[in-house]
Amino acid sequence: MAGVSSGSAQYIYACTRMRVRKSQLIPREDYLRMLNMSLPEITRFIGETNYRSEIDELGTSFSGINLVEVALSWNLAKEYQSILELVPGELKHFTASYLRRWDIQNVVTVLRGKMQKLQPGKIKEVLVPAGRLDRVALDRLIAEESPERVAEALKGERFYPVIERELPRAIETGSFAHLENELYKGYYARLITDAKGGIKGGDIFLKYIRLEIDIRNIQNLFRLRAGHVREDVRELLIGGGSFTIDELQRLSGLESQDEFIDSLKRQVKMIPLLNTLEEIRGKTALHEIEVALTRVQLDQMEQMSKRYAFSILPVLVYLEKKKYEVANLRALARGKEVGLPGERLQSYLVM
Amino acid sequence: MVDVGTTLEMVQASQVGLKAVGAGLAVGLAGVGTGLGEMGIGAAAVGATAENRDMFGLALLFTVIPETIVIFGLVVALLLLF
Repeated sequence: MAGVSSGSAQYIYACTRMRVRKSQLIPREDYLRMLNMSLPEITRFIGETNYRSEIDELGTSFSGINLVEVALSWNLAKEYQSILELVPGELKHFTASYLRRWDIQNVVTVLRGKMQKLQPGKIKEVLVPAGRLDRVALDRLIAEESPERVAEALKGERFYPVIERELPRAIETGSFAHLENELYKGYYARLITDAKGGIKGGDIFLKYIRLEIDIRNIQNLFRLRAGHVREDVRELLIGGGSFTIDELQRLSGLESQDEFIDSLKRQVKMIPLLNTLEEIRGKTALHEIEVALTRVQLDQMEQMSKRYAFSILPVLVYLEKKKYEVANLRALARGKEVGLPGERLQSYLVM
Repeated sequence: MVDVGTTLEMVQASQVGLKAVGAGLAVGLAGVGTGLGEMGIGAAAVGATAENRDMFGLALLFTVIPETIVIFGLVVALLLLF
């Protein structure tokens, strides 16, 4: 009876729920149909899917693009919070560490909003309370007067030391980019520590983190190339993946795109990623490269989640896919609002 | 001197007893096996039903499929006893 314990039943329960939810996400055909719709039609369409309660609830206070935006954020936050409640034991620990990404996004948004002296209501509209900082905690942050006060209110959070160190420089230069980079680097470092903390299933979580860091680094390198940044980029890369920072720095120094892709291919072992890199060779538009890489990441995660059927991976696959569904719908709604043609919009969707 | 009659009775009695033990083990172990099998299926069935109520009938059906193993156990037990 080795390996059979009451814990495994809980894993099976949670992972099955995630699989069912994943199967209820919007399929590719519906995206293609939505490409031919107008904004009110899209709003009505998503009002008939999982987003119904948010669209109904917010329909009286918002309209048009704002309704879609706010409904999507609310739905995402609600979904993530409900998942955090239903996953058991160790899975909850890993899911909570993963969701801290949203804390960083929210805190940086609040800091930026405070810096620009925006109305609290405006800041609140763009927050996604999906992490550990819930609606109440975020409201308290929004009510603070200045970025410094916001930072002080965060004392005791994991990322407070980074904010304390970087905030004066960010306020001085008026740019929060460096602060944001440092926060995310801290986030990934913390994820790795959590995965290596000796909790059961940590090794599988670590596989996902490595994949995510690798893809993010490769995306960043493509972005840097597109922006013709040739100097020292070590600061912009995330450590802990399967490439060392020095290797990545060397890659970013290469002149031609072909040479860059060739050297990258020599270091990559994942076959789907190799194929995608080959496909990317012909593409010049940055967003197409990013979408292709994201697609590989999601496919690879899905494959890994089948290999480790009852682990953290099915939960993470759902969380990631949901994130991209919301991003897709937002892109669709925004694109339709400014009247972008369907083919152009399609290249921005991860489906 | 060994009392042959008593010994024969004892052997017969223990034969019946061991048959009963065998029958008990057949049903009991089959039941444990079924329980272990149903654990995973049941957990998944509850998970699927929680997300989608229409799954209830099908999920219930899947959950009771390992019950057939108990029936095998029961058949073996009955064969042993009668």
